[in-house]
Order: sequence, then C-alpha cells, then structure tokens
Amino acid sequence: MYRLWQILDRANTGPFCEVEDFNKKIFMPKLKEVIKKYGIKYDPDHPVSDDDDVADRVWQAACELFLEVGVLNVDTHRRIIIEESELKEALYHAPGRYLVGEGKDARWWQDRCPEDSAPPFCIFSGDITCDEEIFLPMTVAYCQEPLADGVCASILEESMGLKIKAGSPVELAGVTEHAMSLRQAAKLVGRPGMFLVAVGTALSAMAQVAVSNDQWGVRYTDARLIGGLSELNIENDAMNKIAHCMNYGCFIGNLTGSIYGGYAGRAEGVAVLETAYHLMGLTIYQANFQQSFPFHLHFTSNSGREMLWLISVTHQAVSRNSRILSTSNGFLNAGSGTEMVLYEAAAHGLTSTVSGGHLWETAVARNKTRNYATPLEARLACEVGHSVARQGMTRTQANEIVNRLLAEYEENIATAPQGKMFQECYDLKTAQPTSWYEDMFGEVKKKVAAMGVDFVY
Amino acid sequence: MSNMESLVEAVKAGEEEDAVTYVKAVIEEGHEVVNIVASLTDGMREVGDAFGKMELFLPEMVMAADAMTAAMDELKPLIEASAAGMVAKGTVVIGTVEGDVHVIGKEIVVRMLRANGFEVHDLGYNVNTLDFIKKAIEVKADIIGASALMSTTMPNQRELVKLLTEMGCRDDYHVIIGGAPVTQPWVEEIGADSWGENAAKSIEILEGIAEKIGKNNV
Repeated sequence: MYRLWQILDRANTGPFCEVEDFNKKIFMPKLKEVIKKYGIKYDPDHPVSDDDDVADRVWQAACELFLEVGVLNVDTHRRIIIEESELKEALYHAPGRYLVGEGKDARWWQDRCPEDSAPPFCIFSGDITCDEEIFLPMTVAYCQEPLADGVCASILEESMGLKIKAGSPVELAGVTEHAMSLRQAAKLVGRPGMFLVAVGTALSAMAQVAVSNDQWGVRYTDARLIGGLSELNIENDAMNKIAHCMNYGCFIGNLTGSIYGGYAGRAEGVAVLETAYHLMGLTIYQANFQQSFPFHLHFTSNSGREMLWLISVTHQAVSRNSRILSTSNGFLNAGSGTEMVLYEAAAHGLTSTVSGGHLWETAVARNKTRNYATPLEARLACEVGHSVARQGMTRTQANEIVNRLLAEYEENIATAPQGKMFQECYDLKTAQPTSWYEDMFGEVKKKVAAMGVDFVY
Repeated sequence: MSNMESLVEAVKAGEEEDAVTYVKAVIEEGHEVVNIVASLTDGMREVGDAFGKMELFLPEMVMAADAMTAAMDELKPLIEASAAGMVAKGTVVIGTVEGDVHVIGKEIVVRMLRANGFEVHDLGYNVNTLDFIKKAIEVKADIIGASALMSTTMPNQRELVKLLTEMGCRDDYHVIIGGAPVTQPWVEEIGADSWGENAAKSIEILEGIAEKIGKNNV
C-alpha cells in the first residue's frame, strides 16, 4: 500500500466538483462510453460466464473509468484522481497473500484465478442486525463453522437496553460490547486467534477507533471494513478510518456494493463499476481486500440471473488481471429455514468460486429484518465453494449447474419467503441448528450433489 | 405526431434539447399552460412507473427528469402569469438523517417528486434533526421526508417525530420515512405517518397527501 498522504492531500486539493455534476456529467456518460467502447454485453444464458475476453474487456473498461472519473470526496467536493502509473504501481505491489488471524488459528489468504483448484477463503457472516440477547449464541454458531476462515458478527441495535445511535456514547458502548462478545465467542469455540472482521456496529470513525485494542477488541491481525458511497463517492469519515487503520496496522477491507438499477444502470454497467471499485479500494482505501456486494435496487439481493452474471464477470476480471483479494458477498432473497435460500446460497457460492473469488456468506431475506440469518446458509455456499474448487470444475460445467439451481428459485424471487429467525432455526443454548433445518439442509445438499457438485464430505 | 405528443416523447426519452424545441412549439401553438404541464406530468408518471418495474433504469430517469426540468423552465413565465394560480402539489423538506451519508434512495425520490410537480427542498445528507424542522417552518412545508440506511441512524427518525411533537408542530407536517432497514412496524413505533418503501411507493403516498391537502391541481 502506498502514498496515503498524497491521497489525503488530493481529497482536499483535487478538481472541484459537486455531486450532482459528478453523477450526471462525469460518471454516467463515461460509464456509458466504456461499455460501448469495450463491447460489454450481458449474456442471460451464461449466469456463469466462461468468456475470458469479456472479463478482460470489463477490466479494461473499469481501469479507464476509474482513471478518468476518479472518486469524489463529498465533504470537500474534490475529485481524487489517480494516475495510470500510480495504478500500475499499486497493482504491481499488491501482495496477493496475507497471513491473517494469529497463533494456531492464523490462515493464509491467497489470490485465486478462475477455475482455481485452491478453495476460496471463507468468511462467515450473517450481515444482519440482531437482538442483544442472542448476539453471543449467534456469533458462537458462526465461529464454530469448520470452513470459517474468518467471521464477521451480526450488528447490534441496542446496548444495555439503549438504542444504539451513530456518533453517540451509546455507539461507543455498543461497539465495545460487540468487540468483546465477538472475541469471547471465538475463544469459546477454541479459536481465540481466529481472523475477525469487526465491528459492524461501529458506523462512525470515532467508534472504529475506540475498538482498536489488542486484548479485547480488534487486533492488528484482524480486519475492518470501510465502506464506499454510491457511486464512486467517499467522505471524510471514511478517510479518518483509513488513516487510523493504516496507523494501527489492521487489515482493511473496502466494502462496496454497486447498485443494479442505480446510477450504473444495468448488469454491464454494474460489472464495470464493481470492478472499478477494486481499483478504488487498492489505491484510495489502501485496502488489503475488497468486500464486494453488488445488489439489485428492488430486491436488495444478488442471486438473480443478471446479478450472478455480473458477479461472475467482475470476479473473473479482477482475478485474471490482478492479485487483489476479493470476497463475493451473497445477498439472498429467501430467508433461513427455506429450501429456496439454500439453492440461492449454492448458486452464489458456486458462481463466485469458479470465477476466482473468495466467499463472504451470507445475507438472507433481502438483508432486511433483524435476526434473519443463520450459519447453515453460509455453510452450504462454502461447502459448494470448497468442493467445486477441489474437483476442478470448469466455468462451463458450473454454468450448467447454476442454470439448474436458478430453475429451482428464479421465478420466486419477487415473492421469496422471508423464512424464520435465527432463534427459530437454532437452539440458543447449544448454538446448534434444529434437527428440522439440518434435515432440510441435508436434502437440498443431496439435490445439489445430484446436479454435479462432488461434495468433499 | 403532434408537437404536444413529441414534447412528451422527448421528455420520456430524456432528450433535453428536443424537449425545449417542442415546448416552445406548443407554446407557440397557443396551448393552455395547464394542459401542457398535465401532459408532461403524465409522461413523467409513465417514466416513474417504468422505473418502478425496472423497464427503465436510473440513468434514463435522471435524463427524463432533466428534460422535464428544461421544459418546465420554458413554461415558468407562463405559469407565474397564469390566472389559475398554479401551485406545487406540496412542499417537501427532505434529507438523510444525521450520522448517515447514504443518499441514492433519497435522490431518486427527490427527482421523482420534482418531476411530479412537488416543490422539494433537499437538505442533503447528515442532516441534524432540528435543521429538518427549521427548514420546514421556513418554507411552510407540508411534508417532511427523512431517510436512514443504517440501523444505527434510524433513531434520528424517531428523534424527528419526537422533536416535532415537543415543539408543538407535529400535526403541521406529514412525516414520511424511508431507507433499507425501515419497516412499517418502525413507522408505527416512532409515530411517523407513512413508509416510503421505495421511490414509486413514496410518490404514490405523497400524491395522495397532495389530494388531501388540496394542492393537486398541477
């Protein structure tokens, strides 16, 4: 990572631009231009693209978009522009491999390529808010998953009975509770050095700074996410977080979710933008990895056909052309305790893995309602990911399977069942799934196996 | 195709220059300004509906809204001179609550409201609760819209309703709230008036409010 101080300076001295003009006169026209120039076209028959050329053209389009448009600091109204030589330098120096976590629980996280036989690095996360009283058992349930290389806990809405409000003292209380409970959960399952991504409860930079603590909080062997704003915008608070994390020494994940139906428009635009976000993460956020969650404006999900295509193309573009580590974050329509969500999880895990991505699984029930997520959905996505990597599945084979998986749920996306809450699917005392949900998991897994996934176990 | 039809088509297609050309032509032809505005509004409603169904995407809607604005700028002198005393459907003060910098959903709503004839005062993001209220008092607003994307900024929506009540002006405004984590139960819990589940739904609700307050004459 490099040149942080130059980036911070450019956030105050770059070309002046108001956000309205940035969106309308700079970002949207340039995106339209590069989509046309590089001939990028959504292919609904291939939710898993097997076209290297498309991936490379998306990469070229993303580079051109990013270098010309830059990133707007909405607080200073300045564009941060990166030079081509600087981008090349950053790409050259991207390590492509990190040792994360510590002690016996430390893991190597390494870059992959499409159809790679090395399994994806798997981060388990429900990505949802939860009741204070179930935070610990829910986090234990995620931490104990065998395939979890890392965990990001759910988000607290209350602390000691008080509603957490960003920027307030209750936020400080909430983030402390979050960090301590997450660390406790990892210790309880015998993985005290586990790689943790924390803490989602902290929205403000102040709260992020408050949890940097080697004993009870976020360690330098852990990571935290710093989010971007839609689209290609940044704010001073995020820059404060970057400066702090660089100084503290923890890993930085740049959290970006391009919106299908938003300023980037359709699948082609979202693929180019999401790829460009990886460049933004590398150069401006000083990120060690990208946390990528493109989502559909109406459904807040990314398991539909057009979303899988753009996930597939984005991860191929990035993994074929760089050593940037990138997690693909599932956002599923149906909720826990339904067959539909398991098929969606399998499709997302499969598509992302054969495209060269790592896995961050998974938000469910459109990531909308408190307590709606369990580790079982993530488990299936990650078991599929490990298995298809180990069996050397090609993108062409994966596309056939994903089309079959889509047939199981595609028509029901608009009316997807919300499913059940964590405490209805898991025993809170043991943090184990209920037998009915485990049975359902087993049945769906058998059907996915029959489609061609050779499960490792 | 008549010039009026061409005007509407130009707006729907986001062709700003054509929209100005055709609006000048229909003014020249002597059409009543009320009828021109009504046709344009119908056209924009179609754009909004298509956006709601994802037949159109945000870039196209932005272009259509800009074309609409350009056409309306040409009509402004006629509207101001109109004996009919055309007024906006309602005055809306809107913003993203304090601590929250997410704007895209709010921006979509702002564009659609403006295109549908509302007077909109967009306060941007990270808006202090009292600033919503001060602005609403200043511009004699009918509606206050507050967006929050994060669960930890949603309490500021509650704060807005609470402060309006404590200041004795809660009944002066229709309070609509929105944002990804917002739900109908939250609306009820904090005592807001309605839930803008998405942009199209927000417009539908506020059109209804405009009817109620007798300002739907555009």
